[in-house]
Amino acid sequence: MTAREDRPGSAGGHDIPGPHHGGPDDDYTPEQLAAMSREDLDRLGASYDGVEVLHVDPGPEPGSRLEKRAIRQVGFTFALAGLAAFVFVVIYVGSGWFLPDWHWTITEQGWSAFFTPLLGLLMGLSLALVGIGLVLYTKKLLPHETAVQDKHDGSHFDRVTTGATLVGGLHNSGLARRKLITRSLAFMGGGLGLMLLMPLGGLIKNPNKGNPLGTTNWAKGVRLVRNDGSPIRPGDQEPGSLETVFPAVPGGNIQADAATMLIRLRPEQVEEAQPRIGQADFGYGEYVAYSKICTHAGCPVSLYEQETSRILCPCHQSQFDVTQGAKPVFGPATRSLPQLPITVDDEGYFVARRDYIEAVGPTYWNRERI
Amino acid sequence: MARTATAPGAPTSRLGKAAFEIDDRLIVAGPLRRTLNKVFPDHWSFLLGEIALYSFVVLLLSGTYLTFFFDASMKEVVYDGSYAPLRGVEMSAAYDSALQMSFDVRGGLFLRQVHHWAALLFVASIVVHLLRIFFTGAFRRPRETNWLIGVVMLVLSLLMGVTGYSLPDDLLSGTGLRIISAILLSIPVVGTWVHFAVFNGDYVGENIIGRFYIAHVLLFPAILLGLIAVHLLILVKQKHTQFAGPGRTEHNVVGNRLFPTFAAKATGLFFVVFGLIALLGGLVQINPIWLWGPYNPSQVSAASQPDWYIMFLDGSTRLFPAWDINLPGSYTIPALFWPTVVIAGAMFTLLALYPMIERKLTRDTASHHLLQRPRDVPVRTSLGVMGLTFYVWLMMSGGNDVIADKFQISLNAMTWIGRIGVIILPPIAYAITYRICLGLQMHDRQVLEHGIETGVIRRLPNGEFIEVHQPLGPVDAHGHGALAYGGAPVPKKMNQIGGARRAIRGFFSPIEPPARVELEQRAEGRGLSPQESDRELTTSGRPTEGGRPSEGGRPSEGGRPQEPRD
Amino acid sequence: MSIPNTQSDAPLDEAESASGNPVRRARARRRSKQRRRMANVAGLLLALVLTGATYSVFAPAQAAEDDNESAAEAAGRQLYEHSCITCHGSNLQGVEGRGPSLIGVGEAAVYFQVHTGRMPLTRQSSQGLDKPAVFSDEEIDQLMAYVQANGGGPTLPSGDLRDGDLAAGGELFRLNCASCHNFVGEGGALSSGKWAPSLRDANDRTIYAAMLSGPENMPVFGDNQLTPEQKRSIINYVQTVAEQADPGGAGVGRIGPVAEGLVIWVVGISALMFGIFWMGSKA
Repeated sequence: MTAREDRPGSAGGHDIPGPHHGGPDDDYTPEQLAAMSREDLDRLGASYDGVEVLHVDPGPEPGSRLEKRAIRQVGFTFALAGLAAFVFVVIYVGSGWFLPDWHWTITEQGWSAFFTPLLGLLMGLSLALVGIGLVLYTKKLLPHETAVQDKHDGSHFDRVTTGATLVGGLHNSGLARRKLITRSLAFMGGGLGLMLLMPLGGLIKNPNKGNPLGTTNWAKGVRLVRNDGSPIRPGDQEPGSLETVFPAVPGGNIQADAATMLIRLRPEQVEEAQPRIGQADFGYGEYVAYSKICTHAGCPVSLYEQETSRILCPCHQSQFDVTQGAKPVFGPATRSLPQLPITVDDEGYFVARRDYIEAVGPTYWNRERI
Repeated sequence: MARTATAPGAPTSRLGKAAFEIDDRLIVAGPLRRTLNKVFPDHWSFLLGEIALYSFVVLLLSGTYLTFFFDASMKEVVYDGSYAPLRGVEMSAAYDSALQMSFDVRGGLFLRQVHHWAALLFVASIVVHLLRIFFTGAFRRPRETNWLIGVVMLVLSLLMGVTGYSLPDDLLSGTGLRIISAILLSIPVVGTWVHFAVFNGDYVGENIIGRFYIAHVLLFPAILLGLIAVHLLILVKQKHTQFAGPGRTEHNVVGNRLFPTFAAKATGLFFVVFGLIALLGGLVQINPIWLWGPYNPSQVSAASQPDWYIMFLDGSTRLFPAWDINLPGSYTIPALFWPTVVIAGAMFTLLALYPMIERKLTRDTASHHLLQRPRDVPVRTSLGVMGLTFYVWLMMSGGNDVIADKFQISLNAMTWIGRIGVIILPPIAYAITYRICLGLQMHDRQVLEHGIETGVIRRLPNGEFIEVHQPLGPVDAHGHGALAYGGAPVPKKMNQIGGARRAIRGFFSPIEPPARVELEQRAEGRGLSPQESDRELTTSGRPTEGGRPSEGGRPSEGGRPQEPRD
Repeated sequence: MSIPNTQSDAPLDEAESASGNPVRRARARRRSKQRRRMANVAGLLLALVLTGATYSVFAPAQAAEDDNESAAEAAGRQLYEHSCITCHGSNLQGVEGRGPSLIGVGEAAVYFQVHTGRMPLTRQSSQGLDKPAVFSDEEIDQLMAYVQANGGGPTLPSGDLRDGDLAAGGELFRLNCASCHNFVGEGGALSSGKWAPSLRDANDRTIYAAMLSGPENMPVFGDNQLTPEQKRSIINYVQTVAEQADPGGAGVGRIGPVAEGLVIWVVGISALMFGIFWMGSKA
């Protein structure tokens, strides 16, 4: 400290180096340190870090049988790890060169089907053996020391002095008195924060514009077609069958909400059918068409049990009864699967009479109830 | 070491000179020594967090590799790679590139599997680590901040998992994405707005894979990396907690110094973790996307599940009854909202706030650096087991269709078992755990008071049979032990206090041949060896006279006299 | 007689192009159209051959129904009267509360039910159990002949049943079958104790017969819904995938996340716990 005060503040004066680090460097001269053994130096440094080495179990006696065995074990482990690594390299590089090709084809049961397992086995073995070797080394060959390190609570001195510096700086800035600056800073901060957040507004889209959630591509006269685009006639399905159909519009078969199940009921099912109120004429003869999108979480239902008339959703096990207007009869779903009103056009193919009268898929906040 | 240099203590070797040169410029010797001298307590359970850290490193390495080949685009392409059953099928570019990297990149399938296994292990080890912290009370003051950061990291890792799971755009992940979409839609009032902001419109749109991708490879990992750094810095700053034991106090840490023992073990563990992931990545097939097929909103498979760490939400969704809340004005709170957003939100909020809640209830505001044994805090332990039961039960319900199918149980019955179980099992778990804790506590006290059961039965002259007990320390006039319980394991078997030398074992095989053990026993007579007989066998937290701090091995081993090393 | 219906596929082609949906993926569309056209031709030929063949089998049988049936049918009748008549009635009409009518189910249903051992039932349950067949292949043929002759219904084709497009089969499988039978035909649970069986041990004819007849809760996939060629494609896909190796190591049942989660906890975490336990223990 005194040396510093002697020093001129700026260039021009003679520059005296300060003490190296303070503390220990003052306590121990280089000569003293040079006279100490390495072990003592280690302990000395540790004591400055609040560490005391209480006890050292030395490793095995040099040259003892125990040591030799441990060395053999560790050495063998590392060697094996290296070997596995090299074999990995050979297999990775050599496959398709001097070894059979690694490209797997479905008929292949041999080399290429074992390529990935081999890579995994060798790399895993190699890495794990490195780890095991290291641990063996630590456990069997390193001296085992027990050390204690002191744990300090926060320093009162540090708290008080730091506090003084902080408060002093704040006080000198005079922000407490200069109200205009504080207020303008707050105003500026708010504005800046908002401004920087604004571009996120680009993410926002109005979900209520044009009712995209409540409508699908089905419309009056749109044909029901299969996945490959072929239309369907009433005679095509056997009683007790289900066909997934799509609206005959471009890309209809990959739309998220248009998939519909066209079900031909068995005569017994037709007899006991109780359609939803006002939807008795939505079917066509023995045929009914329900949305394939679960009203619970949107998974495609269609695990159709034709004897029990149930449709099961594989995601959360909601069950719907097709003879009761696809009413949910078990599980977490709350709404019936929407029914698509269908009829047959002049050429004898199934067409929709209109879009679904309610939103298909999962329920949301402002979904209109029917 | 001979010192021939002119300046005293100046290095003579080349390496030493280089080290001095470096320190001249960077002045790192001091901080480096402090780091190397840092003492870490040695207990197996303190390595659980490290497993998570190392899995994360593997995730970063393998994930970076995968980005070289992955194309996060939903553009429709026609597959013409080497997997015949999909050749000519239309699919998204994302799925196409995931197939390409599996079948047409040398070692690509291996690294994809490594990445996925590392992800599963990452979350699993976080959970195990969290349980250790919870049950030992390591979250108490001053470590609440680190607990909070930990919970945030857990949530982030789940988000990482979900976004990563969705990327390949196969039929399984697409089904998951569909459910994510439905969950977003189910949020009251703002649900549709949130959905449209995330998906850029109605499901499925063309942006979601790209958005999930950037969140998965940049946004979440960056935040996670920052949090890991803070987590570790705080850990180093606050020093590690330790279990109670001889010589261990609230004001010290007993263990190994970082260098070399701890560093070597930690490095070893890194390699073991990496090795295990590599073994799994090669030997056990994970997420075979080629079998799932490309995503199509009209297709689905039986047994569609999320990865295990999301399965509890799938389970809660399966169990929750069909309770839409219809509000006036044609507004609805969908049933889906409760078991997903609300349950997940409540679970993680409760978890995050638990240290504050416990502080409030116990009014314990002191700093703690010694860990508690779960039995000593029966309420917390029971609460933990209760929460765990709830979680595991939900998780199992997430796979209830697979259980129903494999064990031929009715699916509807499984749902009802799940519903009933989720209500009655947690309280039962609480009660049982509480009883077990009390029983263990009582046993500890019994042993301290009466000593260890030796298994030696004596018949007294009056005909009474008694079992001889070995006291653990000095006894009073009634033969009752004078030691108090100090929060550390109490030895309960004679061989834990050196009563039976046969207990000297290596991990896999006896280190000493039995013949020598027999000889020693004969030489020493029964009981303690001469040099140990003066040691007090207390395991109380106070450093006791003559006792020296021992490092914890397994809890069951703690307090065991130090065996002579060989 | 359902066979002539097979040809009703033919006009679909024109109808489909008439409906005129402009599809952006023209290439694939064109290919699938060609495939369909070929399928139609093949279907037509097949139907002709089948009609002829069936007619030659049928005509004498029907003519002689009352007095002298073929040897196979007679043997089938004996088997029927011995093992099936209790539940299905003396004239295949079924018995209320015991068994359904077999009129119109055809030989496909007989083959599926008897070959997979579901019939004869050991007890009334929600679903017949898959078990070793009671009857020999020859006896099954006789039963099939008897039921076909007296009840009529869809018939099973012969020949290579895997002769179809692999990738198209995969698409059809995922659309129509995977929802119950899982991605890879592992099967899955249905409502209230019923289940969709695993396809692992099913042979080609069984799968074909199942699609054609819709046993128990399975929906029927008639020939106008899935053409014979499409059925062959599906069988090709199912069997190919079932037989192919797992290039990524052990398949763990190929059921995805449930098995994988089990592995990471039972194998991964346990192995590591063991590892750190070992690290923590003293040598």
